[in-house]
Amino acid sequence: MARIGGTRVGSRAHARLKRELVAGVIRENLALIEGRRPARPPARPRRLGIPAGALAAVVLAGALALLALPRLSLAPELTAATMIAAPPAAPAAPAPPPEAVTHPGVTPARVAGTVFPLAARRIVIDPGHGGRDNGTALGALREKEITLDLALRLRALLAAAGFEVHLTRDGDHQVSLRERAAFANTLAADLFLSIHVNWIADARGERGVETYYLGPTDDPYLTRLASAENTESGYSRADIRGLLEGIYQDLRQEESAAAATAVQQALLGSLREVSPGLEDWGVKRAPFLVLVGTEMPALLAEVSSLSHPEEAKLLGQPEYRDRIARALFAGIRTYVDRHHPTGGGPFPQRSAQR
Amino acid sequence: MSAKENLLYVGIDLGTSQSAIVAANGERHVVDSYVGWPVDMVARKVVKKPVLVGLEALENRSLLDLHRPLERGQVKEGSEKDLAAVRELLSHLVGLARAGHQGPVRAAVGVPAEALRVNRQQLREILRGIVDGIMIVSEPFAVAYGEEALLHTLILDIGAGTSDFCVMKGRFPTEEDQRTLLKAGDSVDELLGTLIGERHPEVQLSPHLIRSWKEQHAFVGAPEERIVVSAPAHGRPVEIDITDELRTACESLLPPLSETLIDLIAAVEPEYQERVRQNVFLSGRSSLIRGLDQALTAALAEIGGGRVTRVADPVFAGANGSLAVALDAAASEWEQISEPPA
Repeated sequence: MARIGGTRVGSRAHARLKRELVAGVIRENLALIEGRRPARPPARPRRLGIPAGALAAVVLAGALALLALPRLSLAPELTAATMIAAPPAAPAAPAPPPEAVTHPGVTPARVAGTVFPLAARRIVIDPGHGGRDNGTALGALREKEITLDLALRLRALLAAAGFEVHLTRDGDHQVSLRERAAFANTLAADLFLSIHVNWIADARGERGVETYYLGPTDDPYLTRLASAENTESGYSRADIRGLLEGIYQDLRQEESAAAATAVQQALLGSLREVSPGLEDWGVKRAPFLVLVGTEMPALLAEVSSLSHPEEAKLLGQPEYRDRIARALFAGIRTYVDRHHPTGGGPFPQRSAQR
Repeated sequence: MSAKENLLYVGIDLGTSQSAIVAANGERHVVDSYVGWPVDMVARKVVKKPVLVGLEALENRSLLDLHRPLERGQVKEGSEKDLAAVRELLSHLVGLARAGHQGPVRAAVGVPAEALRVNRQQLREILRGIVDGIMIVSEPFAVAYGEEALLHTLILDIGAGTSDFCVMKGRFPTEEDQRTLLKAGDSVDELLGTLIGERHPEVQLSPHLIRSWKEQHAFVGAPEERIVVSAPAHGRPVEIDITDELRTACESLLPPLSETLIDLIAAVEPEYQERVRQNVFLSGRSSLIRGLDQALTAALAEIGGGRVTRVADPVFAGANGSLAVALDAAASEWEQISEPPA
């Protein structure tokens, strides 16, 4: 019988439980030796809503159909509930939207994303760089290791809050941008967050945070930045043309902007407690291919500047990295709570950020 | 020790500030996690040893290149000297536990609950050549196993570098069942030093002095008496009252610990949350802070009440648990996780 606390079990059940626990330790150690992630019990299904990928297809089709109608205020029977009640498409991958039909002389009314609340439970975190791609580096600090550390910390926080979380890499592996996007698309994720660390070559005295979502930009600096990040993307020119032609769909862009804003605010609010001089470089649009290739709301957070000596020192501290992870978590929670109030699930009713 | 195989099983709690070892032959030791090498030939002659470990290293630190090689419960990154220091520390611990035993040693070592895979692998590498069989276990899980608190319990192991949580749900805990916070004894020391320095800028402080004050007087809640300590100021000893600073520093642990407790409990299946709330156990050296268990119990009132209890032997609970796991693993299981010597 169990000696203290908990629940008492019979001696046989107790012995069986101890066997299982020791077996678990052995499994973990075997995985360590073999350099692989230990097998985990299959996750219990947590998502209560209709798969967002299929729902997005239905919603998008509906939105485009609405755009074809003469301008009308939405009648009650054309509310979100009606749209969500439509039977979901059977495959997880979203169906391509039908061509929009417009009537001459009618300006299509833009439909706000908040009209169609979507569940947001499955999140893909993308630790930037990896393998032979170190990202930026300063001394022993390498961007690829920092982003992985942050992603692992963030994953733990999100999982504890009931989200289903996947990483595009969980080790020091080379993964192309195409593979990262494909991974998220295959999973039909609800949100994609790519984590990076900045290097400001010509202004090393500056420190700030900025968060991007997909979209065109006229800023030459951002164009150069996106080009640098887009190297070794895994996409061909033809692929990129095809992607760019279809990406700027209002619904996904709006959701991405909302998520990016929430994350930016959370990062700034938390990191300024430690670095009062941290600048708000804002929420921006840029054609990062890792965001372009994904089929769900996507954002890229530059969480710190390795080029700044003080920031670099902080980034070497686990406590600061913990703070960054908690800020990212808080931003995602804010986005989910505000923009997906019917997301469902037993979210703890507390603020995650202190 | 297995009489048949002449094997000695040990459990190790490798801590940022102190490390403990418990062996199946009854040996139990706790050592300060410091390692120092004599700075020159003169120092070498004075200390009479090529390397010093633990209290001896601390007491002779002026003659040594002193290292505290663990940070946040893991080997400090990027320093070969710290790697060597961890090897010396572990060799020292195993040597103490052997107590004359000549045969092979199998060790189970506790690590922070969320220790990265690369850090666990690094620890395995360090131990190769020191022991003959290595098992890495999560520290709070080891505590739960050793205390036989296996079902509907929550362990909170508070050390110097990390505070580690593990919810026991009647199966092997997953990553979601465990948490590591970097708020622990060292963060209390840091804050205490800052607060005392702000209030008494003339006083000369050192990390060792601050830690010793904390270890003697740490508390949360109402003080039993004013805490007055002696410290040098411009070369002269002065007495300073550090009661408020000590209370503030120790109580800085309460919000992150209680919030994490509540978050983890909220993730337990609803029908079992009450049981887990009533069975929260504290271990680790920093759990000895007076009043901490009552304060965390009070924090659980926010979610319907609970009970937080310190285990009987908080300093050795992790090592005891690691030893228990080591002893319960079958010989075939140890064979599976054996690697050729380095």
